[in-house]
Amino acid sequence: MTKKNKNVKKRVTFSDDTTITTHHTHKKKDLDYDRPPVYIRKTLTTVPFHLLILLYYYIKVSNNYDTLSLLLTLIPLQIAYLIFQFNKCTIYGNKRLKINVPLLLITIGGSIVLSVPAMIIIILFGAPFVEHIFQTWLLALHASFLAYPALYSVFNCDFKVGLWKKYFIAILIGGWISCVVIPLDWDREWQVWPIPVVVGIYLGAFVGYSITAYI
Amino acid sequence: MLKRLIVSLLLQLAGLFVFLSGFFPQKNVLTGDASFTIETQIQENTKPPFNKLVLVVIDALRSDFLYSEVNSEFSFVHSKINVGEAWGYTAYSNPPTVTLPRLKGITTGSTPSFLDAILNVAEDDSSSNIKDQDSWPRQFHNHGFRLRFFGDDTWLKLLPNEIFDEYEGTNSFFVSDFEQVDLNVTRHIPDQLKESKEWDVLILHYLGLDHIGHKGGANSTFMPAKHREMDHVIEELYNDMKDDTLMIIMGDHGMNDVGNHGGSSAGETSAGLVFLSKKLAKYEKPIAQKNVKVPMTLDDSSTFQYLSSIQQMDLVPTISSLFNVPVPKNSVGVLIPEFIQLLSKKVAGIKIMENYKQLLDVAKEIDEQNYIKDFEVSRKIDVEVIIDKMRDIQKDLIRNATDYNYNNIFIGYCVLVIATIIVIVHSIKVMHFSVSLILTTAISLLLGFSCFGSSFIEEEHQLWWWIITAFVAVGYIHSSIIGKSKFKLYFIVFVCLRLIRGWNNTGQQTTYSYVLSSILGTKPALLWALNIWAVFILCMRDFKRNPASFISSFTLGMMVLTYKLDWSIVNKEQIPEYLHEIVRKYCEIYTGTNDDKVFEDALIPMATLFFQSISTICVIKILAVMLKMQKSDTLLNDMAKYITLLLIFLSSSTNIPQFLVFEILRYCIISIVKDQYDSSIYIVSLISLILQNFTFFQFGGTNSIATIDLANAYHGISENYNIYIIGWLMTMANFAPAIYWATFSWGILYKGVKNKTNTFVKYKIPHVLFNCIVGCSLLAACVALRYHLFIWSVFSPKLCYYAGWILFMNVIFGCIVEGFLIALV
Repeated sequence: MTKKNKNVKKRVTFSDDTTITTHHTHKKKDLDYDRPPVYIRKTLTTVPFHLLILLYYYIKVSNNYDTLSLLLTLIPLQIAYLIFQFNKCTIYGNKRLKINVPLLLITIGGSIVLSVPAMIIIILFGAPFVEHIFQTWLLALHASFLAYPALYSVFNCDFKVGLWKKYFIAILIGGWISCVVIPLDWDREWQVWPIPVVVGIYLGAFVGYSITAYI
Repeated sequence: MLKRLIVSLLLQLAGLFVFLSGFFPQKNVLTGDASFTIETQIQENTKPPFNKLVLVVIDALRSDFLYSEVNSEFSFVHSKINVGEAWGYTAYSNPPTVTLPRLKGITTGSTPSFLDAILNVAEDDSSSNIKDQDSWPRQFHNHGFRLRFFGDDTWLKLLPNEIFDEYEGTNSFFVSDFEQVDLNVTRHIPDQLKESKEWDVLILHYLGLDHIGHKGGANSTFMPAKHREMDHVIEELYNDMKDDTLMIIMGDHGMNDVGNHGGSSAGETSAGLVFLSKKLAKYEKPIAQKNVKVPMTLDDSSTFQYLSSIQQMDLVPTISSLFNVPVPKNSVGVLIPEFIQLLSKKVAGIKIMENYKQLLDVAKEIDEQNYIKDFEVSRKIDVEVIIDKMRDIQKDLIRNATDYNYNNIFIGYCVLVIATIIVIVHSIKVMHFSVSLILTTAISLLLGFSCFGSSFIEEEHQLWWWIITAFVAVGYIHSSIIGKSKFKLYFIVFVCLRLIRGWNNTGQQTTYSYVLSSILGTKPALLWALNIWAVFILCMRDFKRNPASFISSFTLGMMVLTYKLDWSIVNKEQIPEYLHEIVRKYCEIYTGTNDDKVFEDALIPMATLFFQSISTICVIKILAVMLKMQKSDTLLNDMAKYITLLLIFLSSSTNIPQFLVFEILRYCIISIVKDQYDSSIYIVSLISLILQNFTFFQFGGTNSIATIDLANAYHGISENYNIYIIGWLMTMANFAPAIYWATFSWGILYKGVKNKTNTFVKYKIPHVLFNCIVGCSLLAACVALRYHLFIWSVFSPKLCYYAGWILFMNVIFGCIVEGFLIALV
């Protein structure tokens, strides 16, 4: 190994993050076969335009901010996004991976399971605990299906969480920022729980999927 | 460094108080008593429609308590409204909606100044009385009416007592007393009815309904019975009345659903107002009452606008005209139009013009006076036009209630800006552009900008929650990046914070029914188990290193617990059966008696003993350290413990378990800070700052005057109380959680540090910086928005709270007390 590599190893103390660091330092040469690099290609293909369309539908078209029907539209679109856009940009061990159909289905189950910890996180971040519990769960489902492509990639890339963690954080930040509007006394119909946060996590996910390749 | 800190603090204080003196000036009032000015002869010789007045003020009588189908049990009043013998209104009571300023409004007809709300708390204060101001009771007295008064003694503090022939004040000392306080008023009624020839005006002021509200909210189970009791009183009085008697039932203000008042929400400002007289049936009802049957339901019951809506001050010119006395000089009321028909045609015009002229005098608008001259010539007026004009003047007058002293405002603001610049330069020098400086500045700016939005002030706790969640989440991510991931600790921290957030209703916009404090209130066994644990865990703090302090703190802890149990029994809260017996035995020892009043009698001696013991222990500790008889290193920890016990003593029983959560949180945070941040002074300071503010709101505090906790200011104080002691206790009780988190740093920062003064000053920098930046922004907001609708209900209270934070938390506790202790060790 070169001296450079040793330095890298010293710095990396947290296993999840090896993927990120190796991807930055190795570039193309020096493939470490024990830890093949995972990264996202820097192209416009990863931009999830369907999320913006969904938001437009949610805010302007749908009747009274129908969060449930939004969710039902989100799921197939996220699958399509994963197959036709996201997966094509994911490079693992210097190859593009083929779509693994059983895993697609398993990940749907995984997303539903993920909604439970997501809900715990949302409640820990201050969501009402007793009232509106169904709405909170819907929000958690939205969050976990927004993370669906990332979750699939976690499964598909041998549980290397390091890179994909950023997507979860992006969604979280989006939701966190959107909470600002809740205390305002404008008495708008969109200030009702969980509408602002749904919009927030969509925007967070949009930004996250668009720029994570660059950071 | 210390010098600079002191200078900037003093500058900040000076600037703030000069600003406040300019922003809250004493109001300019017209002095002297009013007299008739137009057609004096005719007015003096008219026979008024009514000769006798019965005024029943029911404290916090919100409009829906009188008219709503859901809430109201006033069946007698309903029947009279339906037959037209009573005219009902919803009277807008101007904020601050607390009793003293409202009574000022009701008697003088003026808009109260904001200072009155503060002075309502300091009841002893004499500067708030209106003994020299013109008011209708005074006018009635001057015109030969004989007045009698029974009820809330605020009236007697406000008005010169010699205007009443007979009076008795009741005191709202125990908020938990729902019955006696009203029976003390009602018991006078039979005698007064017998002697009805010897009085012309009878004023009764009932407090029980307000007490029920404070204790159990607007939908308390005690409410319906109280309504029926009041209704019965009204019926009794009414059945004895002759045709020439006018009876008025009114609330001085309303309440919100939690039962608090002081702010400007619809519930708090909508008071009920009913005029009752057999004579009224002969006249045309108010339009809003024509096709309606009460009790009624509103399309939107959250507006509380039942029947016609008027200003509460309108009462003043109305009764003045109906009883043919001059309208008090400072009144901004407008004659209620429906009552004009009760006056004879000739007099009606004169009375309206009299009211108009008086309003113009208050508004100092001289040009309009020509209108009145025209009237004197032609004797013709268009009633509607004049009433509309009067309403416009009234609107302007209410909005511009105070004259600002712009010089003081300007000087104060400049001084504060200078202080801020000094602090900023200094903190950049000391902290260099570190992460903690950036974070502090970011939080200060965020809070600063939020001062410009009234809802952000009302819901400030949301901002702190927003900050704290981000702070913890970033802390966790940081910890995992530097490879010291502490998932468990962070998870516990998050759970604790979420529990604290769900503890009380806070903020001024929404109230949730499922908050931990109310859930615990219904489960006394669990509540008291938690309370006992809270005290025990606190006493166990540092047990390993300093077992000796366990004994003293444990003794104090037991005293706190028994006192709190006894207090709960006296306040008719439920406590577990087994504890009840223990407390009873304990109280019997204290008082030496064993009758039913033993619980009440034991309260004051128990509290006195507690105060004496805790101060003795503290003094002994400090003396021992000063005389070098004891090592100084345990002093800070011990003092923090004793202070926390005192805070528990001053907290309500449903809030005590929060201290248990605090202890857990404190333990987790200390180990995180030590490991992850190497006990960085600035990080500790920032954490303490955030937690102080966050827990202050989650303890039930807000930026509204309404939520100042008074119930906990009277511990160990007998009826002949000293206002300063109450003031101190009140401040301690309201800042209890903030004080706890201010003492939190003592255990981390000063262990084995040589230059303690240096550490102390460094620790203070983020606090001072935060206060300066927020202060500049808040003061600017108050000046810029001084004509905003919410200036008196939202921005001014926030300004007062800010002054309280600076003065008490920063200067008195944070610098003087803390500085003194640190100088010792």
